[in-house]
Amino acid sequence: MTAEAITAYSNPARAVALPFSGWALLKWITAACIAIVAVFPIWWMVNVVFAEPGTPVSLNPRLYPTSFSAGISKILMIMQETDYMKAYYVSVAYSLLTIAGVLIIGSMAAFEFALFEFPGKRILFATVMLSLMVPTAVTIIPTYLLTASLGWLNTMQGLVVPGLASAFGLFMLIQFMKTIPRDMIEAARLDGASHFQLYRYIALPLSKNALVTLAILTFMKTWGNFMWPLIVAPSPELYTVGQVVGLFNSPYSHQTVDIVMTANLLAALPPLLFFLIFQRKIVEGIAMSGSKG
Amino acid sequence: MMVFPFMLLFAVFFLYPIASGLFYSFHDWNATTSTRFVGLGNYQRILASRDFEKAMWNLGKYIAITVPLGISVAFGLALLVNSFKGFWSNIFRSAFFLPVVLPAFLAATVWRWIYTPNFGLLNMILGWFGMGSINFLNDTGTMLYAAIAVDVWVSAGFNMVIILAGLKNIPKDYYEAARLDGASRLQQVRYITIPMLYPVLFFVTTYGFISALQVFDVPWLLTGSSFASYGGRQGALLFPVMDMMGRGFGSLRFGQAAAYGFILTAIIMLFTAAMFALRRKGYDR
Repeated sequence: MTAEAITAYSNPARAVALPFSGWALLKWITAACIAIVAVFPIWWMVNVVFAEPGTPVSLNPRLYPTSFSAGISKILMIMQETDYMKAYYVSVAYSLLTIAGVLIIGSMAAFEFALFEFPGKRILFATVMLSLMVPTAVTIIPTYLLTASLGWLNTMQGLVVPGLASAFGLFMLIQFMKTIPRDMIEAARLDGASHFQLYRYIALPLSKNALVTLAILTFMKTWGNFMWPLIVAPSPELYTVGQVVGLFNSPYSHQTVDIVMTANLLAALPPLLFFLIFQRKIVEGIAMSGSKG
Repeated sequence: MMVFPFMLLFAVFFLYPIASGLFYSFHDWNATTSTRFVGLGNYQRILASRDFEKAMWNLGKYIAITVPLGISVAFGLALLVNSFKGFWSNIFRSAFFLPVVLPAFLAATVWRWIYTPNFGLLNMILGWFGMGSINFLNDTGTMLYAAIAVDVWVSAGFNMVIILAGLKNIPKDYYEAARLDGASRLQQVRYITIPMLYPVLFFVTTYGFISALQVFDVPWLLTGSSFASYGGRQGALLFPVMDMMGRGFGSLRFGQAAAYGFILTAIIMLFTAAMFALRRKGYDR
């Protein structure tokens, strides 16, 4: 390459003639690099699982899965020889019951708050909204002590019930139900619909979108909740996936890297699948919580 | 009344715990012996303890780095995603958002392997550049930064999505007008994007502070903590909520733990109040 060619090549003025401007090229490279940093740890987890056991985790950076059958056998092994499936069952039950509870209790309260007047409404609403600002740190210890004195330690109700009165969920549903036209409620009432029928046949179907978004966000939160199960359900009978993953990863764990990563991957699977299916709803839900706050 | 179930649960599992927590915080209460009123004793003991000092010092450093860094990264990512169109904009947004979907406990455990000395992914990459192996999670000089990196990795996508929603609300004409006036890209960001995003950035920052003050999962798991031993080597990753939980469930001093919760809440309230005061000042200008 001649000197002129080099200067021409590195000259920014020349770059403009390319399909990409220098700025755009830089943008693409940056975006791609960050995307790799964001995604690679997760991809790497997959690759460690789908590789022959005993392959050093490290020495090749495991850019791609190498053995499908080895991955499957690790998954089967963890399902059959450890209590992982039980923890999975506990986590699924914990999540589903929480979602059901949050949606039913929240939507009923939101229905009243959004569409009707009742004595004490303002003060109740203000109290609930204030609670959004109170950090978990102040309530977690006394809530634990209360749950313990109810005799709910190591029970499913102990896991689920204290988390059902979700102020965030209520707020979101109220915002949504406020948009239901009053005329519709009035018309239905004139047709002889009872209070509960208004809720069941008008408010609920019209809030379907908000309910789905809230259900997904609640799932993400419950599945990822580490602290509450750790203290309220410390017995192996009610280990959640989070606790089991913590144990597999603890310094005293006797599991190999392969098995630990398989445990991690299985725990990541439900939220990842949810993300692939409901991406738009998740993003909208989070964006909404931000813009309204 | 259909508000009743919600209000009942709210009163029992939110309002009552706060009240009882206040009661416990003035008592020596350890689940076995009878309660004894100690006045402000619990508060004094916490404020005088070395663990509290250590945890607060760590927290201060952690917040000073993680909040501005996290928000700047999120802001940068949002601008980056926004500068693409259609398909690629969606692809990059999804990619940057992916870590948010992972539960925090998983992010911590996966990163623990990445940080592993000698054969961990990160040390291997450093090895390519001729650097020796660093024990990120056991070297008191790097532990805090290792935790911050995980935290930014997890939370940047979350804030990015909120900022993106804000960016969409800025009228395109503003940029058009600025371009006609000859404003550079950087000037457009400085004089249009940031002022227009002020409420969103305010929310993200305040929320970031409040959650950073209560950081628990990531440092707890990165250090392989248990209630018997937590905080990592020399308490380099000891944070207030960990200290609080340790006092409660490690040494069963629930009175102190409850008091700890109130101290943290007071700090959070002060912070939030200061943020709102600053915001009002910003509006007056």
